[in-house]
Amino acid sequence: MPREEFQRQLDTLRDDVVAMGDLVLTRYDEAIEAAATGDAGRANRVIEGDADVNERYLELEERCTQIIALQQPVAGDLRLVTASFKIITDLERIADLATNLASYGRPDSGIHPDVDVRDLAGDAGEMVSMALAAYEDEDPEACFIVADQDDALDERCERASKRVVRGLLDRQAAETHSVDESDAFAAELDEVSRALLTVRDLERVGDHAVNIAARTLYMIETDDALLY
Amino acid sequence: MSTSEESLITTEVSSERTGRSDRPDATVLAARDLDVYYGDDRALASVDVEIPEHKVTAIIGPSGCGKSTFLRCINRMNDQIAVCRVDGDLSFHGKNVYDDDVDPVALRRRVGMVFQKPNPFPKSIYDNVAYGLKIQGFDGDMDARVEEALRGAALWGEVKDQLDSSGLDLSGGQQQRLCIARAIAPDPEVILMDEPTSALDPVAASKIEDLIDELAEQYTVVIVTHNMQQAARISDKTAVFLTGGKLVEFDDTAKVFENPDEPRVEEYITGKFG
Repeated sequence: MPREEFQRQLDTLRDDVVAMGDLVLTRYDEAIEAAATGDAGRANRVIEGDADVNERYLELEERCTQIIALQQPVAGDLRLVTASFKIITDLERIADLATNLASYGRPDSGIHPDVDVRDLAGDAGEMVSMALAAYEDEDPEACFIVADQDDALDERCERASKRVVRGLLDRQAAETHSVDESDAFAAELDEVSRALLTVRDLERVGDHAVNIAARTLYMIETDDALLY
Repeated sequence: MSTSEESLITTEVSSERTGRSDRPDATVLAARDLDVYYGDDRALASVDVEIPEHKVTAIIGPSGCGKSTFLRCINRMNDQIAVCRVDGDLSFHGKNVYDDDVDPVALRRRVGMVFQKPNPFPKSIYDNVAYGLKIQGFDGDMDARVEEALRGAALWGEVKDQLDSSGLDLSGGQQQRLCIARAIAPDPEVILMDEPTSALDPVAASKIEDLIDELAEQYTVVIVTHNMQQAARISDKTAVFLTGGKLVEFDDTAKVFENPDEPRVEEYITGKFG
């Protein structure tokens, strides 16, 4: 086959984007455990480890730029490079969200009990995993499944947020706070806001999964059905 | 018989023009089931294509695929090859250029050609441009026409003070633009270009590419190129010929280079075939 070196570069790029995705998902799983258990040590490892993800992102971004400049890809090859260029940005942002999520858990109780963080995060992580598999295997059907799953995730996130807020409002209506109790109320407010941030970030992880699926679908079939 | 048809037979030169964007969908050249043989060898096989007016159409494909043969059919340059036989229809404004009553000289006046290597005559810059006009008996303002052609070829500013110098004293890039000036001086409608930058350095080539874009405002340009990036940069339409003289795909250039319909075209333009 002509242009063997170019083809090798494309194959390696694809493998390395998938590897970056695996690293991000590992960090994401760690972050969810840190959030659910309030394990500060685990959370710190996720936050400090984000530098590795950023470094890998910049290296892959540079590689995409070099392939475009030096190999001048067209057609399917160009779509692979441009899709990869966009997908690594989504992966880097999922890693950023993982650092946020890791920091939301409280040492004593993790995340607010009205948010089933492991369950919601499992769904969002599964979407990222499926989008990456679609990219690796060039599977257009899987791209559409990811997009469908996002609708369900959005609904679950919205319900969780409402539960948290409604619980707060119900307790506020039922209780009259003394000076001593106001400290407890402030703590509850803090817990509620971290719960809402958790839900928001998990919903965003799902959005990034859809972005990866959308770019993958365009890469495979030049179908822009999932792009916005 | 239309004026356009008539002017292929007589020496009349059309003076009516439209801009590049005025008639985006008008067809100026059309091949229908076009076959070309060199002896027993089939160089083009059942080619069907419509070349739009005031656009740049690039023809790409591997060596020996028939792209230059197709280009040379358009102004009947293949007539000079004894074993060449053309079947089917190749029309210019609806008139088959291979009809018996078509005068090839009149055709070439309306369909000019620029070749791979700059080939100015061993004459002055002025005479190179005026040569064709003199042969056709042009009796208008020759100085103005020469200046117009040199301006049209983006060369006037560089040579206006040395019009009596030999065309052969110019650089390669300037010589090629002089040949373009010579081609457009008789005011053709179509300019055929056969790898016009392959013998030039990148800077001279980029000037020609810019010029091609400007030429398409007034002329229909059909260019054969081996440089696929050049085709992608400068053309509106791209025709891909593959082995066997078959036109495999013809579409908007962006479509061909982003998402070709034919897997063989994808393999060719991505360098996996050919």
